[in-house]
Amino acid sequence: MRCCRALLIVTATTSLAGCSEMQSALAPGGEEAGRIAFLTWILFAGAGAILLVVAGSLVMAMRGPERLRQALGGERAIRLGGIVFPVVTLAILLGCGVWLMRESLALGRPAALRIEVTGERWWWRISYPGSDGSLLADANELRIPVGREIDLVLHTADVIHSFWVPNLGGKLDMIPGRTNTLRIKADRPGIYRGQCAEYCGGAHALMALEIHAVAPDEFDAWLISTQAPRLGEGIARGQGLFQAAGCGACHGIRGTPAAGTIGPDLSRVGGRRFLAAATIPNSTENLVRFISRGQSVKPGNLMPEFRIFSDEELDAVAAYLSSLK
Amino acid sequence: MSLLARARSTSLWLLGSWRRLVAALAMLVALGLAGVFLFAWLGVYNVAASTGHFQLFDSFLRFGMENSVRARAPKDTLPRQEDDNLVRLGAGHFHAGCSYCHGAPGQPISPVAARMLPPPPDLSEKVGLWRDGELFWIVKHGLKYAGMPGWPVLERDDEVWALVAFLRRLPELDERGYRALAFGEVRIDPPSGREIATGESGEDAIGACARCHGAVEGPKSDLVPVLHGQPKAMLAGALRAFAAGTRESGIMQTAASDLSERQIEQLASFYAGLSSPPRHNPLPADGAAVDRGAALARHGVPSLGIPACLDCHGASALPSYPRLAGQPVRYLLGQLRAWRAGLNDRSPSGQVMAPIARRLSAEQAADVAAYFAAQPAASVSAGGLGR
Repeated sequence: MRCCRALLIVTATTSLAGCSEMQSALAPGGEEAGRIAFLTWILFAGAGAILLVVAGSLVMAMRGPERLRQALGGERAIRLGGIVFPVVTLAILLGCGVWLMRESLALGRPAALRIEVTGERWWWRISYPGSDGSLLADANELRIPVGREIDLVLHTADVIHSFWVPNLGGKLDMIPGRTNTLRIKADRPGIYRGQCAEYCGGAHALMALEIHAVAPDEFDAWLISTQAPRLGEGIARGQGLFQAAGCGACHGIRGTPAAGTIGPDLSRVGGRRFLAAATIPNSTENLVRFISRGQSVKPGNLMPEFRIFSDEELDAVAAYLSSLK
Repeated sequence: MSLLARARSTSLWLLGSWRRLVAALAMLVALGLAGVFLFAWLGVYNVAASTGHFQLFDSFLRFGMENSVRARAPKDTLPRQEDDNLVRLGAGHFHAGCSYCHGAPGQPISPVAARMLPPPPDLSEKVGLWRDGELFWIVKHGLKYAGMPGWPVLERDDEVWALVAFLRRLPELDERGYRALAFGEVRIDPPSGREIATGESGEDAIGACARCHGAVEGPKSDLVPVLHGQPKAMLAGALRAFAAGTRESGIMQTAASDLSERQIEQLASFYAGLSSPPRHNPLPADGAAVDRGAALARHGVPSLGIPACLDCHGASALPSYPRLAGQPVRYLLGQLRAWRAGLNDRSPSGQVMAPIARRLSAEQAADVAAYFAAQPAASVSAGGLGR
C-alpha cells in the first residue's frame, strides 16, 4: 500500500511538473498556437474515445454474450472498424488540420514585420530591419511586439535546425539552401522559450532561445535605441581589452570597431536574460566562465578559450559586456 | 659403458616418447632461466662502464644496432639538398643539444661524455656510413642502451630534418665554418661586473638564443622567427610554454628548459627592445598569393569561421599576441603546419590560435604566410596595451 502511495506521489508530481506554462504547446500565447492547442485537444479527446471503444470491444470479444462475440469476430466488424472508420476519421482530421493550419502558411497578406532568424551551430543569428533599411544584428533573444503579425524568415548557416517556440506556434525546419517563413503573433506580453527541435550536433540540447513579446510602443522604442551605440560608463579598460584581444574579429558591437560576423552580435548582450543561446543565466561570473572556459559550457562551440586573460582582465571584459544593454 | 654410448642411449630414451622429450626441454628452459637469475642475483656481471665490452660482444651489439636501424628507417632523403636554412637551424640546435657528447669542429668531446659506454662517436667520421633516412631515424628515436636520447618532441619531424641537414654538412666543416654556422657573427656586449660576479648575467642565455635568432642582426635561417621588437609578454609567454612543454618543439624545449623566471624576463625584455633587423629573407615572389593573403588577413572568411588575422596580429593587439609582419615565409608556414597537425594547442595563447589555424586550408595558410612575410616589420615594441 505504502509502495502504491509513493508511486502515486511520484507520478503525480512528475506530471504536474510538466504543467508549467514555459515552453508548453498547451499554454498558447497567440492565435496560431491556440489553433494548434485546439487541434491537440481534439486529438486527445478523439484518441481517448477510440481507446475506450477499442478496450470495450476487447472485453466484449472475450467475455461478452455469444452474439456480440460473433459480431465482433466477423468480417463485417473488421471492414467497418478496421477500414471504413479509420479512413473516415483520418480524412476528417486531415481536413480539420489543414483548415485550422491554413493561417500559418497562407501568407497572402503582408506581415507587419519581417525578422530573419538563422540557425547556426549552436545559436540563433537574428536580424531586424532597421528604420533606414539597414539590418540590425542580434542573437539568441528575439523581441517582438504584441498583437502584430510577424514573419520569421528562417535560414540555416550549416545543418538542418528547427525553430520551435511551442507557446507561439508550430515548428518549422531550417533547411540548407531554403528559406522558410513562419508567421507568429503573440496576443499577450511575456517571455516564451523555444528550442532547436532538430538534432544538429553535439551541443544541440544547448541551443535554445527566448522570445520577449512586449507592447508595440516599447518594441518600437527598443528597435530605435538598438540602432544607436549604447556604451556604458567606466568600461574603457574592458573595451580596450575586447578590441586588443581580437574579440571584434568574430563579434560585432555597433558603435565600436568590433564588426565581426562569425559569432553572435554582442551589441546588447548585457540586456539578455541568458547567455550561450539561453543556456546559462546572464551574469558577470557566467560571462567570465564562457570567455575563459567556454568549451566546458558548450562543448564544440567555435570560440577558443581565452585563458590568456588574467582574472582582473576577465572581470574587465565581462563588466564591459554586461554594460551593453 | 663409454661416455659416448651412455649419451647415445640416454638420448634414444628421451626421444622414445613425446612426453619425456617435452619434459626434458622444459627442464632445460627452467635451468636456463634459473641460471640467468643467479647470474644477475649474484652480481657476477660487471656493469662498470670503465671496463668496456669484450671485442666480440661489442661487435655483436653493433651488428644488431645497425640492422635494427636499417630495418626501421624511412626511405626518405633530405627534403632539399644543400638548404642553408635547414643547415643553420640544425647547427644551432646541434651546439645546444649534441656537441657536449659528440664534440664539434674545434670542440673536443667532453671528457665526461667520452667515458660513456659505448663512447659517443665523433659524428664527422660516422655520418657518411648512414643514409639520410637512417640518420633521421637515429636522431628522432635515439638508441637504446647507448645513452643516445630521442628527439624531445616526436611530432616535429621538420626539426629533425634540420639536424640531419646539418649532419650532412658536418664532415666538411672546420672550426671557423662551424662557428659561423652555429653562432653566426653576433657578439653580445659584455655584461657588467656586478652581473658576472653575482652570476646573474643574461649573456649565456642570450647567447644561446642569438645562435639562431640573432641579436644585432636577424635570424640566420628562414625557419627561425624574428624576435626583434616583439611584445615582451608574448616572448615571455612563449618561453614559459616551451619550458613547460606545452608548446611542441624539440629545439625550443631544449633551449628554454633550464631558464629561470628571471632569465625569461631578461630575455624577453632584451628582444622586445631590439629594433627590427635588416630583412635578408627573400620576399615572396607570388604577388597573387600575397593579395589573396591580404584579403584573408584583413577580413577573414566568416563563412568558414576564420576571423581576420590582423585583429590579433596587428600592431595594436594584446602584447601577449605575436606580430607577424616581416616574419620569414617558411617560418610562418612551418608554424601553421604545426597548428594544423594538432600541435601547439595547450598553452594559453595556443588554445586561442589552434582552433582557428585548423580551419585554414593548406592554400589559405600559404597565402596568408606570403602576405605577412611581404609586410615591412613593425617598429619596436608595438604592443598597444600595458599589462
